[in-house]
Amino acid sequence: MNTLLEMTGVRKRYGGVQALDGASLTAARGEVHALLGPNGSGKSTLDKTLAGTVVPDSAEIRIDGAAARIRGPRDAHALGVAAVYQQLSIVGDLTVTQNVVLGLEPARRLGFLDHRAARDRAAGALERFTAAFSGRLPLDRPAGSLDPGEQQIVEVAKALAREPRILVLDEATASLHKEQVEVLFDVVRELRAAGVLVVFTSHRLDEVFALCDRATVLRNGRTVGTVELAATDEDELVRLMVGDAPHRVPRPARARAVADPTSSPAAALEVRGLTTDRLRDVGFAVRAGEVLGLGGLQGQGQSELLLALFGAARVTAGEALLDGRPLPLSSPARAARAGVALVPGDRGRQGMFAPRPIQENLSLASMHRRARAKLALSAAAERHAARSMVERLQIKIGSLTDPVSTLSGGNQQKVVIGKWLLDRPRVVLLDDPTKGVDVAAKEEIYAIVRGLADDGAVVILNSSDNRELTELSDRVLVLFEGAVAEELSAEAITESRLVSSALRLAPGESL
Amino acid sequence: MNAPPKNRAWPREIRLPGAQLSGAATVAMLVVAVVVNTALQPNFWSSYALTSNFATFVPLVAIAVGQTFVVLSGGLDLSLGAQVTLASVVAVQIVDERLDRVPLAVAAALGVGLACGALNGLVVALLRLQPIVATFATSFVFSGLALVVLPTPGGSVPLEVTTAYRDAVLGVPTALLAILVLAVLWWVLRRHRVLRHIYAVGGDADAAYASLVPVVRTRVWAYVLGGVFAAFSALAILANTGSGDPFVGNELTLASVAAVVIGGTALAGGRGGAGGSILGAMVLALVTNIVFFADVPTTYRQLVNGVVIILALALAGIPALQKRRPAA
Repeated sequence: MNTLLEMTGVRKRYGGVQALDGASLTAARGEVHALLGPNGSGKSTLDKTLAGTVVPDSAEIRIDGAAARIRGPRDAHALGVAAVYQQLSIVGDLTVTQNVVLGLEPARRLGFLDHRAARDRAAGALERFTAAFSGRLPLDRPAGSLDPGEQQIVEVAKALAREPRILVLDEATASLHKEQVEVLFDVVRELRAAGVLVVFTSHRLDEVFALCDRATVLRNGRTVGTVELAATDEDELVRLMVGDAPHRVPRPARARAVADPTSSPAAALEVRGLTTDRLRDVGFAVRAGEVLGLGGLQGQGQSELLLALFGAARVTAGEALLDGRPLPLSSPARAARAGVALVPGDRGRQGMFAPRPIQENLSLASMHRRARAKLALSAAAERHAARSMVERLQIKIGSLTDPVSTLSGGNQQKVVIGKWLLDRPRVVLLDDPTKGVDVAAKEEIYAIVRGLADDGAVVILNSSDNRELTELSDRVLVLFEGAVAEELSAEAITESRLVSSALRLAPGESL
Repeated sequence: MNAPPKNRAWPREIRLPGAQLSGAATVAMLVVAVVVNTALQPNFWSSYALTSNFATFVPLVAIAVGQTFVVLSGGLDLSLGAQVTLASVVAVQIVDERLDRVPLAVAAALGVGLACGALNGLVVALLRLQPIVATFATSFVFSGLALVVLPTPGGSVPLEVTTAYRDAVLGVPTALLAILVLAVLWWVLRRHRVLRHIYAVGGDADAAYASLVPVVRTRVWAYVLGGVFAAFSALAILANTGSGDPFVGNELTLASVAAVVIGGTALAGGRGGAGGSILGAMVLALVTNIVFFADVPTTYRQLVNGVVIILALALAGIPALQKRRPAA
């Protein structure tokens, strides 16, 4: 094996989350190497470390046997690494040509641009994909005016124009049509024949088997193994990704009884045909006392669904009924008044006012309930309300007047949840509530979530942690590209089932 | 690990408005301003009035072009007016009524603009301070230095310079030629890699960084270009008034921002150009003229100017408001 790339001991920490914890990747010249793993396993972070857009806390990288220091995209470029990013590096206001040559514009003397050379280079890089643009390359159109698939191709062409010896493709097929994928695969196979290493990340396993030679599997930021794909099947890959997790006992019987369709009459929350620019015709019903999990790969519309129900996304079609009455989806304030609460995914930015006191953070969402004549607040009542919540949720604090930022991640999250509990919500939407929270606090938050459901609230939980979904959910909706792909209930909610359900959709179905 | 999707309902950071005026709106405003001005100022089209009008336009046009570079890069320079002041007082002290010192004074003014721009650029790009706060702070440094160089209005420029500035070459006012020179400079720079990178960084700094654009260096360049054009503005002021004034640039800063917006450049960066800013500067200058000839009492002039600027900015915001309204 003609090793070209060796990455070992790659570590990267984001706040409280260890994204990479000693990951490694070894790949050869003239190889298409897949990088696989479930949500949060660190694939994208490893890709970005190689491409230079993420600077790792520590890493040893050798390219062609020589130690490499990659501290930015320009270092990576000097080493012959080019990347196609999942979140594209397209500048929408620049034309397609300008995007393809961006950063490496051909210039005459003194840095004045050579427009003809730029056009030639862009046309050369895009020529292969002419069919994808209905026969005419939009070289002079602003890249932002292209559809997502076309933009993705411009991104690929930009990487190809850099003539890399290592090409990183991070979910490069996500918004491509089938024919566009075929052309891309032909190009990748040509690159392989020319001795280029292609690192390929995709959530479509059939693509991985069709294109790649070997696969390295990541789990929780660590590399668990590298396999020859010719000698492996999908089950083996899923087993590597999930690990031999012990079977967990899901929620206790009492809550389950409520979820039993025979014992509970009308649905408390019913969603019909909900559509936004990232959701397609989502419909489901949840009973009071039920925990509905949202699973699937991250970014398939789970957060958007919660935002839509909270009135914070632009809903273009569909409706939601709470006990048969339409739920206002036009603004968070109206949704909250109707009894909906959202614990957002980005706690720091959207869930709390970090430098403000704990008491203020807790009482904020429910002040109208205690205000006399909707105007005057009593300091004692505010303090009493906040203290009751601190006791009920066992939030570990020094003083109610301390800034909420002084608390640990788990206790901050309890404050965010407590803020809404004071408003006595009937629908609680939780967006990855235990992200960056330590194990002990996780269990406490689980207890709070179960308690909410037992008290008769409708709970919808999005989680990137499949184990969390198996522990808390009565049912799980697996989302894929903005639509409900599968509904799992009771015994079907297992980690391996969640992973395979999220991964094994044929690309044809998604379009 | 998939990165969380960009959320439109709750932006990750507060950005300046992305709205921009269309070119047609800019031209329409200019036409209206010219028509109203013609009506109020009977000899508006006389060669004397034209020459004198253009002579007063140039400083604002130059600083507006300078502000355009910074705004396109996604920044804002609130110290440009103070840079104009500093460059002008340094130049007037050096020239000291001597014609042979004019080249030296011009070089000194440009040097001041370059140095001020470089300082702003380093503070904003390297130390990553908010442009508005950082340049507001440096504006006090520059105005303070200007007071040290020239504590009270004074100094004077050789008569040959002021005469030439108010003259005409082959029937074309010198000041109009100066505006054309500024436009040509922009046209040339537009073809340079640095300007392409300024557009890219202002359009999407993260994408530009991932695309090998040297983001820090590009931002510094934007402020340096802003400073150099502030120096042009200073030279035009000296040529027009003939003497130095340590407060002369104060009102130019906000006018430059307004001219950029009226000229169709998005305050969020990445979209627009200095061609519009030149027209925008002329619209603002004409409005000042109109207010003068409409016999608005002196005490109300500033108020009227302010209202006009706000109306122009609001006009730029209308398309964005319509886009934000839910479809259903």
